[in-house]
Amino acid sequence: MYPPHPRLLALAALLFTNLPHPAAAIDAAKPAADPGLPYVYTKWEQLTTKDGLPNDHIFAVKADPTRNCVWIGTEDGLACYDKETKKIRSWQEKDGLPWRVVTAIDIDPRTGDVWLGLFGGGLARFSAGRFDHFSQLNSGLVNDVVYAIAIEGDHVWCATTAGASRYNTKTDKWDIFTEKNAPMEEIWNYNVSAHDGKVHLAVWGSGVLEQDIKTENWKVYLDPDGEMEIDLYRDDGNIHVIVTGAVYREKVLWISSYFGVCRYDGRHWHGFYDHDSGLPSNFTNNLMARSAHEAWFATDKGLGACMDDATNTWVSYTSDGDHHTGKAVIMRDNKVIQVVDTGYNVPHNFQICVDFDGQDVWAGTSKGLGHGIGKGYYPRLRPAPASNAKSP
Amino acid sequence: MNTFPPARRSVSARRLLCAATAASLLLAAPAQADKTDDAQAAAILPHLDTGYYDRPDLPLKQNENYANSSADVEPYGGVKPYKEHFLVQMEYTGAGRGIPEPEHVDTVRIGFLGPIKPTVSVATGGKSHNEEKLGIAMMQGTTLAIEQANAQGGYLKRHIPFELVVHNDNALWGASGSEVVDMAYKDKVWAIVGGIDGANTHIAIRVALKIEIPWMTPGDLDPTYIETNIPWVMRCVGDDRQLNYLLVDYAMRKMGYKRPCILRSGNRYGRFGVREIRDGCRRLEHPIVCEMPYKGGATDFSMQLDRIAEYKPDVIFHWGNGADAARVLNAIRARGWKQPFLTCDRAVSDEFLQIAGANAEGVICGYPWDPERKDPKLAAFREAFRKRWGVEPDTYATHAYDGTNMIIWAIQNAGLNRAKIRDMIAFRTEPFHGVTGDIPLSSAMDDAGDVFLAIRENGKWVYHSREDLGIPRGKVIEKPRVERDVASADK
Repeated sequence: MYPPHPRLLALAALLFTNLPHPAAAIDAAKPAADPGLPYVYTKWEQLTTKDGLPNDHIFAVKADPTRNCVWIGTEDGLACYDKETKKIRSWQEKDGLPWRVVTAIDIDPRTGDVWLGLFGGGLARFSAGRFDHFSQLNSGLVNDVVYAIAIEGDHVWCATTAGASRYNTKTDKWDIFTEKNAPMEEIWNYNVSAHDGKVHLAVWGSGVLEQDIKTENWKVYLDPDGEMEIDLYRDDGNIHVIVTGAVYREKVLWISSYFGVCRYDGRHWHGFYDHDSGLPSNFTNNLMARSAHEAWFATDKGLGACMDDATNTWVSYTSDGDHHTGKAVIMRDNKVIQVVDTGYNVPHNFQICVDFDGQDVWAGTSKGLGHGIGKGYYPRLRPAPASNAKSP
Repeated sequence: MNTFPPARRSVSARRLLCAATAASLLLAAPAQADKTDDAQAAAILPHLDTGYYDRPDLPLKQNENYANSSADVEPYGGVKPYKEHFLVQMEYTGAGRGIPEPEHVDTVRIGFLGPIKPTVSVATGGKSHNEEKLGIAMMQGTTLAIEQANAQGGYLKRHIPFELVVHNDNALWGASGSEVVDMAYKDKVWAIVGGIDGANTHIAIRVALKIEIPWMTPGDLDPTYIETNIPWVMRCVGDDRQLNYLLVDYAMRKMGYKRPCILRSGNRYGRFGVREIRDGCRRLEHPIVCEMPYKGGATDFSMQLDRIAEYKPDVIFHWGNGADAARVLNAIRARGWKQPFLTCDRAVSDEFLQIAGANAEGVICGYPWDPERKDPKLAAFREAFRKRWGVEPDTYATHAYDGTNMIIWAIQNAGLNRAKIRDMIAFRTEPFHGVTGDIPLSSAMDDAGDVFLAIRENGKWVYHSREDLGIPRGKVIEKPRVERDVASADK
């Protein structure tokens, strides 16, 4: 749990001294009830080139419930895993894919078009078996190095290394956002997401930019201390100016960076580091939020899931790829609550991307794709002991 | 003298195939591995065969103080920070070490990214910043190192030559990122040397991080370059933070000036180049009285100087290109102002001297190394460079030579695996013995060696260490800030 602020403690003490009934104070002195345990993914499967992926270096993963498949962007091609047949189909440059490195995938829910961010190759639309290619030479795409894309209504947003582009698929109009028309101190866009009426750009060196879709007004979240080498206070704002991802769910903003992660509910910020939470490492390549209380972080030392923000309860998944073993460590604050033997889970500990698929979770790594099967998943915490758990 | 081979591609890339020719053998000033190099390789190599899933069981570098910062200039000195970064070396934990060497390789390609040709760049805010001279010098130093390695047999494990693949980082529309993509996937380089402009280099190293390729910069002195926490980037030259610290210590602690002002280029180089001057002066209780930017290439500074005059500064800090520095200086002296003019290493150039003329006398520059150092290795390099290129090597050429030799050393030992090449440099505990002097890498893989002041005295640049001039330094506390009993300020 978050350490209580001294001022809150003082206020609580003041309130308790004025309570009319002493029983309330006695109740407060009791040990806190066990808040319960989070759901732990204990069933995993792994997909690699042996299963038909074009490459094991996974840069993007996107569940497609409508087609009952999962799209996978790799360092050398696009793949689609059919969940029913368990077969993988793939496309490389020889098959019409405009560029080999697929770093971003999103699906237009209205048309079913699959949009692809290509690392150094621009943007592509995969529709009806055909790839349409958009580059900085034939469109309004600001740069061909595309890190992330997000579908927002009629728009395709692209986070590129030299600004963000927004393509209106109905009007063919492109908008470019750089330091000239948005509060970007630097233009090095790293990620983009669109949820709940807002677009968030994670900008390397410029924090998080939030655009209200209705008004198109921008808001910026910077590191309040303004220093690269320190985080002055844990909960004072965005954790660092170099951010790698920002996802907005249920009016809560989750942010990842190479320096830790944080959460903002519109009023309060909370930072999470590897020394005060179950975050496996402060070096976080990406994130995906499931709700206001749950977010998963792709770190360089495992997959970290904040399962309940209020109690700072995490589950981190790590594996030993050589021996095909793995474990999930449940932590509250910086204390290990349980270690669960999951068997082989994520195929590699260097996590790059993550997506949810109903109750399931998909994790793209440096050496293959992991699929956590979430049968019986429940959000937040429950007082149910895991059958295969053991104490640390 | 045409120093370039004909371009092979119509785009901005130019490729140099540096085979071990008789001519280059004659030019070669051997860059042989010394005993330290051999011992370091022997200590690191057995730990690198981890396969796809493990990490080398080698200790990570740890520093007790970030960037050798004195307590009185540490940010928020009165407060113990919640977290301090960059004290423990970043790890690479990916699968790259398991990738086998390719079977068929004709040459071992090393990438070069630098400003070779002028153009327009979004990243740099418009027209490129006249950095081509610096970029070409950097490329010459890199080329010489490659040629010398080839003269000694090239990549010794396979007896094939190294090949330099040159790309321009002033490409259109901030496309330095695309240049790195091309180098990694089309040219298939094993490591990259380069970067001068901070904006272009930041774009490029973000790509290098994703692609996982080692990046050595001999020319980008932007402190934030290594503050990105990328485990693939390293720097073989003292950065602007260190130059700032020394200049501030000289001006404020030694000379006792009290009303500093800043006049700088308005681009990212100027903006980030003075951060520690601005912060250092303020933390030493003499805040900058006025800071004025100008547009690179400007000739009229009357607006800036009129404004500065209102604040009556007693010392002027400047950050910008050499030619800009000279024009600014001339404008200052034309007004009869006598304040000391302290500036960056780019003023130590022929261009600066030609434009500044007699005004150059007394100018003080931060400088990342001591070129007057007596070292047979440095003398041999100078001679080889003069023979090869017909000019004296400047600081960019010299550091590029060192940085390239560091990469070559790593490749010779690690083999053709990008992660292991990175590891060789990252896990090395002893400094590299370069022609610029010893290059000890910090936990952030930044050059933690000494920096110097270049002072124009009697028509010559004279290089002084901190000790030479008796420049005081604030107390450096060798303990992480979060572990100290009290906050860092210790005035």
